Amino acid sequence: MNGQSSNIYNDPKAQWFAYIVLFGVLALIPTFGTEPFQLRVFSSYAVYAMLAVSASMVWGFGGILSLGQGIPYGLAAYCMGATMQMQFQTPDDPIPSFMLTNELNELPSVWQPFWNTSVGLILALGVPTVVMVVFGFLMFQARLAGAFIAIMTLAMLNAFYSMAQDLQPFTAGFNGISPPNAFKAFGVEVDPYSSMLYWINLGVLALVTLGSKYMLQSKFGTLVRATRDDAERVRFLGYSVAYYQIVVFVFAGLIATLAGILWVMTQQYVSPTAFETPFSIYMVIWAAVGGRHSLFGAIVAAIVLNYLQTELADISDMWQKAWLLILGGIFIAVVLLLPRGLAGMFEYLMGFIKIGGRNSSSTRVSEN
Amino acid sequence: MGVLLELKDLTKAYDTYAVVDHLNLTINEGELRCLIGPNGAGKTTTMDLITGRQKLTGGKVIFDGREINGLKEHQIVRRGIGRKFQVPAVFRDLSVRENLEVAFNRTPNPFSNMLMFFNRTDKKRFDEIVELSGLGDRLDHKAGFLSHGETQWLEIGMVLTQNPRLLLMDEPTAGMTEQETLKTSEIFKRLKGAHTLVVVEHDMTFVREIAETISVLHLGKLLAEGPMHQVENDPKVREVYLGAEGISDAA
Repeated sequence: MNGQSSNIYNDPKAQWFAYIVLFGVLALIPTFGTEPFQLRVFSSYAVYAMLAVSASMVWGFGGILSLGQGIPYGLAAYCMGATMQMQFQTPDDPIPSFMLTNELNELPSVWQPFWNTSVGLILALGVPTVVMVVFGFLMFQARLAGAFIAIMTLAMLNAFYSMAQDLQPFTAGFNGISPPNAFKAFGVEVDPYSSMLYWINLGVLALVTLGSKYMLQSKFGTLVRATRDDAERVRFLGYSVAYYQIVVFVFAGLIATLAGILWVMTQQYVSPTAFETPFSIYMVIWAAVGGRHSLFGAIVAAIVLNYLQTELADISDMWQKAWLLILGGIFIAVVLLLPRGLAGMFEYLMGFIKIGGRNSSSTRVSEN
Repeated sequence: MGVLLELKDLTKAYDTYAVVDHLNLTINEGELRCLIGPNGAGKTTTMDLITGRQKLTGGKVIFDGREINGLKEHQIVRRGIGRKFQVPAVFRDLSVRENLEVAFNRTPNPFSNMLMFFNRTDKKRFDEIVELSGLGDRLDHKAGFLSHGETQWLEIGMVLTQNPRLLLMDEPTAGMTEQETLKTSEIFKRLKGAHTLVVVEHDMTFVREIAETISVLHLGKLLAEGPMHQVENDPKVREVYLGAEGISDAA
């Protein structure tokens, strides 16, 4: 759609093909006889990859530097945690044990809706979405941009972190909620160590990625990138910039929301760490290392970096402690040497393979 | 031909200092009006007030018989006022084609635009604009790689793509070479009549080339108005523009 480009990297057909290959290969992992424990690790990588896609959408394409992608993620995770916890409780034993130790004698009213799994799932999707709509509306109507967005989202993230930490009778505070049983829906139990859960996570990852890719190729996507370039010009072409920013902010939030739900299904655990500042910054780093203008790059970077972290932690405690330094080093190296991330490097390399033999690709464009 | 734009006692004041001071201006449909004046005369501010980029402190902006002050920028654009900025504003990370496609504003709704792809763009209008701006062989290049003149033409093309009833052009030839200025005046002559234009310009050769009526602003007030020969012989105008040498040498 962007005319004939000589670099195969920019060919939309080749791009779709690359995504199909990526997800196809990832889908085969359980068939290699992977250990259940290892499979669950891969399931959580799929969740991280979703968060990287979310950061790539909102920051890489939308130009909105949100350090608060942990907000929808964490809210969804807590709703899902409550839903799964209530699946364990019975009318004879209606109060989760952590509430009893916090001297609650009856189930608080905010927990009541989670008796019903469907209502719980609707809340897990709805609560973060409503929060993002309201928060986005307040920020973008006021025409906040750049570092101010980062500061606002970071402050809001920390507010949620404190709430999760301090409302101990409702959230189990620092310890977090660990539902004893796997998630059940429609009479099926989703075992976190099963290939079924892995395929669910991968399926949702593929869905949100291809959905995002589709959106980016539509006029909406071009407008979002235009807003990143020059919001004022977009405004003076007759578009409401705030409206577009709210939509892309909420959409990226929705991806993080799905990640939060799947995270709790995978780990059977949710704690205030979901709202921790470093975690939300990781998401941005994954997107940056992968190349913030590439969803593919974000996914690959999220998987590779997390794999690296797990492997290093396995070697020794020392390596685990050094991880933050290593990650920081990788981030700095990418910013200095590869400002367009791994995807940018890949694009550069593909530039040497000429198709059609037309002029150099360096000035031609097609993102995503 | 009817009145398209009317400024009534338009005022923009910071505390007691008025940048635009009770300015009255009438633009007729189909007219090409040049707005000139020394630095600080309030030309760009006047454009900001018309397009809602700055809030006025007094007076009215009447477009097509309706008051538009108080509307948001994008709403004013949708009423039919297009604007080219002084510093060329294009999307540097997007290709020239994408720049023009974004400017095709058929629906402002983000959700409808998710279902819209560019192969369905109005081909005829698109080709017209490409021909007019002379960017035909640049369509697949990033706008950031264009020369200064090409960037200006691209922005003019983008504004024209919206087919606005009134076009506000803030220094369209700023920083252009002589040849580029010449090409720009060709573009403007072709627009004359089909569009209503208000052009802010410092380059007197260019103004002489294209203008019908000239309005001279000074310290936020209208100093003189009329055809070129009348304005350039006006003693008040001569005085404002570097004493007795007149505006011809001021550029």
